[in-house]
Amino acid sequence: MEIRCWRICLITVLALLTLRGAAQTAPLSERVVAYQIEGVYNEKTHTLDATELLTYTNRTGNTLQTFPFHLYLNAFQPKSTWMTEAERTGQRDESKDTPWDNKHFGSNEVKSFEVVGQGDLTKQMKFVSPDDGNMDDRTVFEVVLPKPVAPGESVQFKIHFVAKFPEVVARTGYKRDFLMAGQWFPKVGVFWNGAWNCHQFHASTEFFADFGTFDVKLTLPAHWNVGSSGLRTGEHDNGNGTRTLTFHAEDIHDFAWTADPTTKVVEDSITLGNHTVKIRMMMQPGHMTSAPRYMQALKGTMRKFDEWFGQYPYPQITVVDPPHGGGAAGGMEYPTLITADTTWWMPKSLLVPEVVVEHEFGHQYWYGMVATNEFENAWMDEGINQYSEAKVMDALYGRETSTLNSRLATASERGTDLASYVGVADHDPLSRPAWLFMDGNSYGGITYFKTALMMLQLENLVGEKNVLHALHVYFERYKFKHPRPEDFTSTMNEALGQNMDWYWKQTIYGTEVLDDRILSASSDRLDWYSKDAEKKGTTLYHNLVLVQRRGTFDIPVLLEARFDDGSILRETWDGHDRWHNFTWDRKTKLVSAEIDPDHGHLLDRDPFNNSWTAKDDGKATGKIAGYWTLLTQWLEYALSWLA
Amino acid sequence: MNGSVRSSAALVWRHQRIVWWIWVVNLVLAWLSSLPARATLSSVLNHSLQSARFVTGFDAGAFAVMLIRPDVQPGPLATSAITAAVVFLTYLLFLDGGIFAVYLDDRKLSRAEFFESSGLYFWRMFRLSLYSLIPFALISAANGSIAQWAGKLSNDAAPERLGFFVNLGGKLLCGLLFLFVRLWFDLAQARLVKDNERKVLRTAWRSLKLALHSGRLYASYVGIAIFSIAVFALGTALWYYLPHRATGASFLILELVTIVMISSRLWIKAASARSVALMPAEVLIMSPLAPPMAEPTLNPAEVAEGSNAPEPPKSE
Repeated sequence: MEIRCWRICLITVLALLTLRGAAQTAPLSERVVAYQIEGVYNEKTHTLDATELLTYTNRTGNTLQTFPFHLYLNAFQPKSTWMTEAERTGQRDESKDTPWDNKHFGSNEVKSFEVVGQGDLTKQMKFVSPDDGNMDDRTVFEVVLPKPVAPGESVQFKIHFVAKFPEVVARTGYKRDFLMAGQWFPKVGVFWNGAWNCHQFHASTEFFADFGTFDVKLTLPAHWNVGSSGLRTGEHDNGNGTRTLTFHAEDIHDFAWTADPTTKVVEDSITLGNHTVKIRMMMQPGHMTSAPRYMQALKGTMRKFDEWFGQYPYPQITVVDPPHGGGAAGGMEYPTLITADTTWWMPKSLLVPEVVVEHEFGHQYWYGMVATNEFENAWMDEGINQYSEAKVMDALYGRETSTLNSRLATASERGTDLASYVGVADHDPLSRPAWLFMDGNSYGGITYFKTALMMLQLENLVGEKNVLHALHVYFERYKFKHPRPEDFTSTMNEALGQNMDWYWKQTIYGTEVLDDRILSASSDRLDWYSKDAEKKGTTLYHNLVLVQRRGTFDIPVLLEARFDDGSILRETWDGHDRWHNFTWDRKTKLVSAEIDPDHGHLLDRDPFNNSWTAKDDGKATGKIAGYWTLLTQWLEYALSWLA
Repeated sequence: MNGSVRSSAALVWRHQRIVWWIWVVNLVLAWLSSLPARATLSSVLNHSLQSARFVTGFDAGAFAVMLIRPDVQPGPLATSAITAAVVFLTYLLFLDGGIFAVYLDDRKLSRAEFFESSGLYFWRMFRLSLYSLIPFALISAANGSIAQWAGKLSNDAAPERLGFFVNLGGKLLCGLLFLFVRLWFDLAQARLVKDNERKVLRTAWRSLKLALHSGRLYASYVGIAIFSIAVFALGTALWYYLPHRATGASFLILELVTIVMISSRLWIKAASARSVALMPAEVLIMSPLAPPMAEPTLNPAEVAEGSNAPEPPKSE
């Protein structure tokens, strides 16, 4: 009996171990690509001479013969689409009309392109410009294979390339001894929705790629501190002032690395459930005061994401703090590696380091795992992530103080999101491809902030917990996949248990603007003809609040009316018509009225006209006008030095 | 505190009516210029519950949203503030003659005497002010260039704070140069009034030489400027710790700071006036620097005698 028990126990333990092993080794994603890259970096010329062996497994169900590749670093050339757009309308790191400087030059030069078993196809490489027809843009090339690749088959590409990094711009490049290597290797496009999706690099677009594995071997100056996506698996000192490092990463869709001789490495870990994640921060020596701030924000964010959306399944997260002057490398996400942003003088009250780390870590979910098409549906990663940012920052630092918390002034995520959205509210729909927005302001205001406000407003309609639950369902369903907007909306509808298409139609696909207001309000005596004096509690009043739908957004309107006897009434209007009268005949007069009293209509572009008070209260006006007067006095004083 | 600083402070104190009048006009002009802003704000805020965001605290996000409203136009509001500043400058240029007359004589002028002096010297003060724009513009350009260079250093130099310190040093240097130019033209203003000098450019030219030899007076300028900055820093620090609702106390503290700043500006004027008042006549009249526009007309007899040849100016 005892022996039998032991056997059962042994078998159970072995089975559990086997299952655990299987769980550990089972791929998290449908691994389409396997990159093996070996490169030697030349610190003087800022170039990497490398060979890439890409194994592509055709899981598309289609026979593939043409393969497109990104060469992102070619964007940093005078006639490229990226540079042309940045020069015309400005970009995050390039002002409008910035003169060309050779330090901005970057390139991916393919020296040879071979398909294993099919020969050298270097001469078959053809640059294409699917988005704008710019023949001088060399950020995408195509190759037609002599032999097609059938579904389920694999093909291997052997590419010898030289990556020349620009002085840091658009999240990649060098600054003095610092190097942020992003988008540095030839990357195959994504076969998505029945066709190849491989857009040119635009000034306002980001990236889109397939999941897979990365084995990277880099030879670098020996004294450099190096960080990367994935994990370091080996190190070899070459004895000539260089060392060769090897890295491995799984179930990610991009690989970035960074090197800097001066950084200080801060290490910590966090345990979420039964999973421990190593945190590795590469700090500039002059920014060490920001290290605890980064760490606190990162850990808080990881906890909230784990609680709300799902598990961070990778063993490590690396945070890179770029050096001064290298801000263009800051605030960027790569799988399992993010870049932060701070300065040596960063005030505690300004939560920039926290916001940036929070935001970039959030991309590990909305981009890293739920790998949407950033070219065409930027709102699905940036916008949903901006919403997550607002939620996390509110939870960690207070709803009213989540971006600025000083004695003089405060600012919230919601408030700054609205301020960024209001000016561009009707410029572009969310569903527009990133490079087709009116300008950079519209791209930012709509993609990031309208989406965040749309999601926060959704909470008001269906409840915060329900929205977070629906996003959890969406995350679990589409992690390690490439969902489309309709996947998002249908999952949300399903998880929310109601059809919200009327809402998505206006917010995602339309440019409707929400601006409901109280046009007028009054409390008039019903016995207006009477000559008797008004008597509180006896005189009957006709109380009226006229609400107008100034914008085009159709949404139910809740009105709260407060009366002078302390009573409060709440009534709803369906919001379809252009205006609506709320009326009450009561023995009390209106004290105040407010539409959207819970402040949930975050997309309302003018919250100031949402309420009305009977009493004229000039406190705020007096305060602001008083400070305006004082500033004018000081301006007068400053100018008086000329007398 | 040296004697010059003390005695000029006493001069400002004795004639403090000037300070009060300048402050009152400073305040009234600013208040008038804020009326459009006040009207706009009251139409947006006075009957809105959102106004609470600016009473118990100051919500910067809500403020930014309010500024984007079509009926709130920060551009025209800023224009009215700039207009007020220009009017105030003109007012001070007008008063300069009277102010220097008071400080040079150290006596209370009647209203008629004061405004007579003001009117008499207004155009000369105005022209002098125009000439002063040349060195001020040069300093401003230098400040801009240093700031640009510092910005480049902040990006490119290996020491992270180098750009900041270069910028700070540059600003300090430009501030000191600015004070020197102010000293130069304050001396010119004082001399215009003391001697009823009509040749403005010549006075400016001679005052430059005088300013170059007025080391102690310059030190007084620097000292008074430091005092003014310290009061500003202290006042704003006090205000910083006041609760948001304490608008009355905020007004009092910040107006006190403004009064001290105005007094400091008058204090350095008084220091110049006192310095010019105490200078020997020959120092004021004689200068080796010939004015570029005025040809000296010499009596041939005096040339022959050579006994009245101009002497070089003496330092203070």
